[in-house]
Amino acid sequence: MSHIKYLLLVSRQGKVRLMQWYTPLTPKQKTKIINDLTPLILTRKPKMCNILEYNDHKVVYRRYASLYFICGITNNQDNELLTLEIIHRFVETMDTYFGNVCELDIIFHFDKAYDILNELIMCDGSMAESSKKEILNNIHAMDAIQNNDHLDRVLS
Amino acid sequence: MVASSLRSFIKDVRGAKTLADERSIITKQSAKIRTKLRDDRLSNEKKRVNIQKLLYLYILGEKTHFGQVESINLIASDNFVDKRLGYLATLLLLDESQDLLTLLTNMLNNDLQHPNKYIVALALTTLGCLSSTELARDLYPDVENILRTSTDPYLLRKALQCNAKLIFKDRSLLEIFPIDLIGSKLLNNQTVCTHGVLLGICKVLQAILISLDNSLKYHSDSELNDQDEQQRQKDLEQDISIVKTISELIPQLSSRLSSLNSKNLEPAYDVQGIQDPFLQCELIVTLKWFFKIGNNLKLEEITQHNSSFDYLLTQLATNTSSAKNPGNAILYEVTRSIFELQLSQPLRVLGINILANFLTPTKNSTIGNNVKYVGLNTLIKVVPEEPAAVQRYRKFISQCLYDYDISIKFRALALTFAIMNEQNLKELTTELVKFLEQISSSHYNYATSYIDMDDSKDLVVYTVDSLLRKFEIFSNGDDKAEMDTLLTILKKTGNFIDLEKVNEFLIAINNIDDLQHKINTFSQELSESFNKKENKNAPFENNTCMDLVLVWCLGEYADLIKLNSYTDSTILNDTSIVQYLLELNDRYRLSNDTRMIHYILTSALKLSAKIVDKQALENLRQIIVSHSKDANLMIQTKSVQYELLFNQPDSVKKLFLQAMPKFEKKIMDGTEANLSYRGLASSKPHETKNDILLDLLGDTTTTSKVAQSNAAPEKKNSDLLSELLASSGGSANTPATSGISAATNETISLPSDSVLIHEGNELQVYENIIDISSGLAHLELYIKAKENEIKNIQPLCAVPKTQKLTLSQLRPGNDIGVGEFAKQSLKISGSGKLKLRIKLSFQKNGNAASESEQFDYKLDKTI
Repeated sequence: MSHIKYLLLVSRQGKVRLMQWYTPLTPKQKTKIINDLTPLILTRKPKMCNILEYNDHKVVYRRYASLYFICGITNNQDNELLTLEIIHRFVETMDTYFGNVCELDIIFHFDKAYDILNELIMCDGSMAESSKKEILNNIHAMDAIQNNDHLDRVLS
Repeated sequence: MVASSLRSFIKDVRGAKTLADERSIITKQSAKIRTKLRDDRLSNEKKRVNIQKLLYLYILGEKTHFGQVESINLIASDNFVDKRLGYLATLLLLDESQDLLTLLTNMLNNDLQHPNKYIVALALTTLGCLSSTELARDLYPDVENILRTSTDPYLLRKALQCNAKLIFKDRSLLEIFPIDLIGSKLLNNQTVCTHGVLLGICKVLQAILISLDNSLKYHSDSELNDQDEQQRQKDLEQDISIVKTISELIPQLSSRLSSLNSKNLEPAYDVQGIQDPFLQCELIVTLKWFFKIGNNLKLEEITQHNSSFDYLLTQLATNTSSAKNPGNAILYEVTRSIFELQLSQPLRVLGINILANFLTPTKNSTIGNNVKYVGLNTLIKVVPEEPAAVQRYRKFISQCLYDYDISIKFRALALTFAIMNEQNLKELTTELVKFLEQISSSHYNYATSYIDMDDSKDLVVYTVDSLLRKFEIFSNGDDKAEMDTLLTILKKTGNFIDLEKVNEFLIAINNIDDLQHKINTFSQELSESFNKKENKNAPFENNTCMDLVLVWCLGEYADLIKLNSYTDSTILNDTSIVQYLLELNDRYRLSNDTRMIHYILTSALKLSAKIVDKQALENLRQIIVSHSKDANLMIQTKSVQYELLFNQPDSVKKLFLQAMPKFEKKIMDGTEANLSYRGLASSKPHETKNDILLDLLGDTTTTSKVAQSNAAPEKKNSDLLSELLASSGGSANTPATSGISAATNETISLPSDSVLIHEGNELQVYENIIDISSGLAHLELYIKAKENEIKNIQPLCAVPKTQKLTLSQLRPGNDIGVGEFAKQSLKISGSGKLKLRIKLSFQKNGNAASESEQFDYKLDKTI
């Protein structure tokens, strides 16, 4: 079963663009993980593999353009290769939603990115839906309700 | 407007020129949000903007605790927009450990019954992420209700996921969970049972199985009283009945997995040609848990499916394409199941084959790397189960040594050592030497960063370490090859490894039997090395480790090397050898590592017995004398003592400057290597050394000296040996004078509880146990002179090979009068039965001739 501990989106400059924690950690621990992992991953060469060991768990990352997607996973439980695919699913879904997604989209519409992520991964970091279409349909439906609300208020 | 003001905030932060600017923007904004949120009259629209800004602060890693309550309040609003943002903020800003969660109970309760399915979904997502045990208990009925009544796959899958989490949180919920729902309502209904719902079902089943597994583990750990025991039994029976119920689903899940794997119909679930690898993996894991528990408890309901599961795994292994990552993810999951369940041998071999297949290079380099990493990692774990199958892929593993990625190199190395055995030692060693060559030369070829240098150093050290250890375990009987390998490794890696490590090389070289080959090789090495010195144009390589070995071998084998037929005496002769030492002495005089100087000193001393040229001898003496004022006390002591030895006549020197005997190495505590001398005496070096020096200093009669050198030449060898190898170099010599002065006015009396263990012509020996614990024994021997005055007692003791003996100095001294005692304390470490062989040599009544008494003593104790 997939049990992702956290997902971080870090830019090439080392700035965090999105973070989601699936295990309760103190702010201190969170900062430590971010501060430790960022330089570690940013300095890795492209030819190196995308899996590394950090503390008691493994970290899987993948770079898309200027963004690094970093996942902490549970040892001996999570499938490293599958985690890479989950990251890829997330990116693909955002790509379709935003239309050729770029770092700026995620910076300015982080709430949307979170919405998509929450449809894809639930609870303790387990994959909840594998169909990109299904996720997008639901996100669009929610966006529509939101806009209707808005419209109602303007009209009234 | 809403968007624009969040937008402008983000823009401001991004536009900040300096860090200080950014900081000030953030603090100002943070303060503003704080005051705004406290304002009750703020419209929801404004509130939303502020919460959104707060979330941006959260992403920036700022403090956001002050917004937690406001986020929860936003959920209470009737508007979908407010709810959506409120739930998102709550989910991000809070976590499971906070008390604030109780505020959520009512709102979640309401929203879980909301007619709008998206609001229900939001509530479910939030509950899934933030469920304290209380929330789990309070809201479980609502979630179950959704499972029962809803027919929307969207809600069902979220409810299932959420349910799985709640069961994890509170195991007692299992008792009321309607298990039959899964089979009757979900799995059998084609329209409802989407992939998402199946993922949810897997999750719930796993939650049930894992929590059962945990409770089994917990029960076996703890000891309970009768009442608890009964309760436990009841729980267990209940758990087992639950497992029996859900085990009916195994065939359905299996057929789902099988059809998913063989068909590829829906483009929505296609990932690079593989049908929904996420669901496939999830199904494999779920089934694995079933069989893990089923086999554990020997449940007929589950074990009956064993063979069909084996078949299914084989089917997956053969049908799944390994060309792309998703396929590999499935194959990887299959092998993990095979080894976790310890399935039959053919399947295990199949698993190894899959993993080995991961090691073969593919076109896409990064993807190939990950697969390699995973493959090696798993292979290391499973080697002990199927060593023969892994053996077959030696070639693949060796290839991974040359991978770009250090973590892959390391794993390939670890695996290589894991499969190393007597048969393939030679082949793998050749491979590793090649690898060492490559890594140390690439280090020179291009300017590498410090990180890379450290990395390759780690690699080299690890390889050399493990190789030496393997050499010790397996001797392939080919001394020549081993010798050559050792030297090649040294030459290639001398720059990377510590001088400390050279000790182990020296031990290995010293223990090689083929003397002729050894001499030939060294003769050649030295000639080359000397040649290089003359030819100034040759590249100057500072290989300290190699220098050290050459210095050592000069001291050991100079005489043999000179006699060797291969040796060109124009290059290697007394003068050039001494010249070489002189140069090294000058070169390393100021270096931080004094070990080299210790070796040079000892080598110079040893050479003094092997060299005839007068001028060369004088030069050697100069080397030793040159350190007599060294700032390092140990070197200074050594230099002074060696000078004394140096001036002894050849006949005396030859005896204790002999070549070293073979010695064996014992590994203590896995790290510390202790050297002990294999032979009759393993007496403590300090003592004998002291005696020799004492005699020399005290200018005693030559007779006693002769007697002594007769007594124990080997002993002195062991002494020099340990000195040569002792990491601290000169520590053996320091108590030279202090021990003697203290020893004069002490009388020893026999403790009451001591036992007579030996009654000889001249001596009685009593034994007294001070302390025996596991691994360590402390004994005392009391030696009593019977009718004659005894002088110069030399106690020699030996213990079994599994133990190590430390002798302290004889007290009050080596001479005892009639009826007096001398005390010898012994410390024995190691394991096994306590047995001693003791030999006491001495002189009686001032008689120059040495006598001895020998006896064995067994204690009825084990350490």
